[in-house]
Amino acid sequence: MKLLEYEARKVLEDYGIPIPRGVLIHSPAELGPAMETLGDRFVLKAQVEIGGRGKRGGILVADRSNGPAVAGELFSREIGGIPVREVLAVEYLEIQEEYYLSIAIDRSTKNALILFSDQGGVDIETLARDSPGALRRASIPVLMHDVPPFMVRDLLGGAPKELGGIINRLYRVFCEKDALLAEINPLVATPRGIFAADAKLVIDDNALRRQGISQNRDLTEREREAERHGFSYVELTGDIGVIGNGAGLTMATLDLIEYYGGRAANFLDVGGGADQERVMHAVRLVAGDPTVKVIVVNLLGGITRCDEVARGIIQAGISQPVIVRLAGTNEKEGQEILRQAGYRMLDSMEHAVKAAVEAAR
Amino acid sequence: MIYADRDTGVIVTGATGKQGLFHITLMNEYARTVGGRGVVAGVTPGKAGQEVGGVPVYNSIRDALREHDATASVIFVPAAAAADSIMESASAGLSLAVVITEHIPVHDTMKAIAFARLHGCDVIGPNCPGLLSPGEIKMGIMPVHLSSRGNIGVISRSGTLTYEIVDQLTRAGLGQSTIVGIGGDPVIGQTFIDVLYRFEEDDQTDAVVIIGEVGGSLEEEGARATDLPVAAYIAGLSAPPEKRMGHAGAIIEGGEGDARSKIERLKKIGVPVASRPSEVPRLIKELL
Repeated sequence: MKLLEYEARKVLEDYGIPIPRGVLIHSPAELGPAMETLGDRFVLKAQVEIGGRGKRGGILVADRSNGPAVAGELFSREIGGIPVREVLAVEYLEIQEEYYLSIAIDRSTKNALILFSDQGGVDIETLARDSPGALRRASIPVLMHDVPPFMVRDLLGGAPKELGGIINRLYRVFCEKDALLAEINPLVATPRGIFAADAKLVIDDNALRRQGISQNRDLTEREREAERHGFSYVELTGDIGVIGNGAGLTMATLDLIEYYGGRAANFLDVGGGADQERVMHAVRLVAGDPTVKVIVVNLLGGITRCDEVARGIIQAGISQPVIVRLAGTNEKEGQEILRQAGYRMLDSMEHAVKAAVEAAR
Repeated sequence: MIYADRDTGVIVTGATGKQGLFHITLMNEYARTVGGRGVVAGVTPGKAGQEVGGVPVYNSIRDALREHDATASVIFVPAAAAADSIMESASAGLSLAVVITEHIPVHDTMKAIAFARLHGCDVIGPNCPGLLSPGEIKMGIMPVHLSSRGNIGVISRSGTLTYEIVDQLTRAGLGQSTIVGIGGDPVIGQTFIDVLYRFEEDDQTDAVVIIGEVGGSLEEEGARATDLPVAAYIAGLSAPPEKRMGHAGAIIEGGEGDARSKIERLKKIGVPVASRPSEVPRLIKELL
């Protein structure tokens, strides 16, 4: 889960990384008292969980005279479709140099990967593409407690030595907060010292509980419902509902829909050991999306009992047609139950998907 | 076959849980059919003296090894303790740990894998269905009825999608040497490259199917490093960026790891990529 900027910078502050003075406000009116601590000029940053805020109009510069008006403007905006409910007001920094610093997980080496550049401020993809030479990297096994001094020197090159302390502090954040990504971009040098001018932290969803973080994001009604049942569910923009077991098989079903010229309305992985009740909930959930014209169920199991699945589909009692591919234990019984109830059962995922795409036309 | 054979003795950790009991029974049913040793002991701390599916349970892997000859573990321990179980396996001297458990925090996985590496213990998974060498051994939860013995190696990040493609291979008369589910997490022990090196050393294996997903670049890295004939299927062509498609590892981040560019890179190094799962058998036949 990606933390909002104000949450992420609080974490950095806890670890001794300097951050600019700032106040979180929930309405333009709250800016008045906040201005006392911010100085003459300040920056208003929409706290929305979306990348490229600057380009999308989510970051505005203001001063004491026009502050409330600019804040009013920002609170009235939607950034990438998300309404602005919170704004972080931070002091305006006199920037002399901009650096890039991030720590991420490297799938190939199974280590932490530290990236540093003395050309910060641009996004990392642009940096990697346009000036790969300016990006310094170091790979460190997370068994290490600190980043070794030689590694810090290699990363920094000619950059100021005091940045080394920031690298080590961010590494500690990365390890202790179960981060998948810890990024400071830009890390800036000002006449008053070094500051983390922005902060991005992505926390491992599997570690939220032990980190004491609750999933707080704006979920749709159906997404919340899916979470309650423990389904992996992603809403998409097409009209064919998809239910599968296993992420790979469900993704492959989506791809086949596209291959045959259809468009999937969702990704729903019911997980292992799908029983009657889970299948019923899954079918009802997907059918509850008004854009769904037809549902394709693709379940292939070792342990999945097809008769249970069949009963679950029938019990859901939805109005849209359901096309089913079922393979596993008690396959014949499952097929028979569905046929008698008038459902279409097909013998392969390809046939099932083809039929669903035709039905949606 | 690779990693293990019918003579391999297996210890199951998390043996007394529901999953443990269920799968110990299935693994040993398979071992009996193929004349293998199968699961020789179970481990759950504090449950020594119990029996699960006819297998004695011990408090620790070390205790189990005092009474039984085993070189590998299959881990069913819940996520919070699974990394510990990997490290215990390595520390006790086992050479292979197969981790079925899902939802292990990735930092725990990284530490446990780094620790296991120091002890020379290979880790398969986590969040994987395990491995199956038809006619030899099953370690994990793969259904055996879809497979048949033969000369095709299979490496996959998925579970059920693997069964789908194994089923297609079997129907096309293409038996399998070993099917390895390497797991759907962002950090996994054995990756495509490690398993491909094993297949290179394996006389039984003549060609390999790689079943990949969006996220990362481990598929291409593996395929580039081997001389074996390889065909691939990559799931997630229609996956939108920044959305996690079920597996923690199946996510397109920062424009990296999308299926289209993955497929292009594979094709560039001469790997045929199936546009549908059902195309895999034909591609493999063309390679043989």
